[in-house]
Amino acid sequence: MNVTCNDRDRIFEDGTPAEWAALEAHTAFCPLCAEEVRAWKSLSVAAKELRDYSDSPSFWPRIERVLAKEAARNAPRAERKGWFSFLLDLSPAWQTALAGALVLILTLSAGRIYLRRPFHGGGTVDPSLLKSQALKEVESAETAYERAIDKLAAEAKPHLESPATPLLANYQEKLLLLDSAIAELRVQAGMNPSNAQLRYQLLAMYQEKQQTLEEVLEAKRQ
Amino acid sequence: MGTMGLALPWKARISSTPRERGKRVEPSEHFAGGPSPAAVDALSEDAALAAACRSGDLRAYERLYTVHGARMKNLARNVLGNPMDAEDAVQETFLKVQRSIASFRGQSSFVTWTYRILINTCYDARRSRLRKKEVANDDSEQTPGLEPRAPGAHPSLRMALERALAKLTKHQRDVFLLYEVEGFRHAEIAGMLEMTETASKNTLFQAKKNLRLMLEPPRSSAAEVR
Repeated sequence: MNVTCNDRDRIFEDGTPAEWAALEAHTAFCPLCAEEVRAWKSLSVAAKELRDYSDSPSFWPRIERVLAKEAARNAPRAERKGWFSFLLDLSPAWQTALAGALVLILTLSAGRIYLRRPFHGGGTVDPSLLKSQALKEVESAETAYERAIDKLAAEAKPHLESPATPLLANYQEKLLLLDSAIAELRVQAGMNPSNAQLRYQLLAMYQEKQQTLEEVLEAKRQ
Repeated sequence: MGTMGLALPWKARISSTPRERGKRVEPSEHFAGGPSPAAVDALSEDAALAAACRSGDLRAYERLYTVHGARMKNLARNVLGNPMDAEDAVQETFLKVQRSIASFRGQSSFVTWTYRILINTCYDARRSRLRKKEVANDDSEQTPGLEPRAPGAHPSLRMALERALAKLTKHQRDVFLLYEVEGFRHAEIAGMLEMTETASKNTLFQAKKNLRLMLEPPRSSAAEVR
């Protein structure tokens, strides 16, 4: 297998053992790649300096005490649950039969209640009212959250406008990506406002943005 | 960039030891033919450990601690910057595992799940520390706390690396620590950080590129060393 200098970064990122071997062979004739490979590997060697697996004998007993305490606290709750545990001992056929009987009882009860319900003429209740109310709450919470993040963004803006370090430049790029993703999600959410999944995704993006902005401010403080 | 070397504080260069690639091969990437017997053993041990922990057996938690405790504490220390916070985070992780083991359904390995809890716990602790404004005058982000680390071969290199790591993004730092320091595979890291294996590899690549830039000596001093 032949590799060239152009393959180097790709192999660093995701090279197979064969590609690494080929790159090593290539370094014999290419001083530039030899230096790059050496420096790349030296980071892995340096990382070992961050390993400290020394034992602290008092640590496990401390954890064990906390776990035992928690277990003791949960024991009465487990006993209360024990009342239902006989269900787990039944065979699957009996479990199915019991579940079927329960469903039948519930259906009969619901039917009975429905047939005997008092008749209300006139005023109809909009079935989507609660949903709309919930949606309104979500939207107002989102707006408040967005405003708070905007304040954070305004604080971080001076550092990002002309990033002084590669790290800040990375943050700026990430924030641009996040903003574009947020804008796209907002468009989708606008078209399908009741889609909870989209709302969760939007929230996750806002949280990521908030965290990134916090990291920017933290980086600047350091 | 061609003659770049890491800025090693003792004015020497790290020897170019080849990476022990054979010890950490990505099975899903380079090999076909199903998991090895060792991997199957590890999986069944993982399932057995999860089952024992679910039954409330404290010895199972002790086994988890014996096998992973030191690594968990080391990871927490590298994320949080000091050993006391690291111990608190590991203890909190064990407690969270005990409380939520009933909801563990085996979508990932038990150990991967445990490390995911640990990482989240560490970042919760970091956030809460930031909120309390303790960070403002707190050098513990970069320097060890009350309990010193075991002396390494190159303490100044460690400190330089810790400082550089603190400047990486959260994901880059996590992936670097998990892969290069703790020796996890990309497949495992993907499970812990809820990302794809490809993203994990790419993040590691970016992390190492950034670290190299930060640890690169000025060209003049690089020439001096040479």
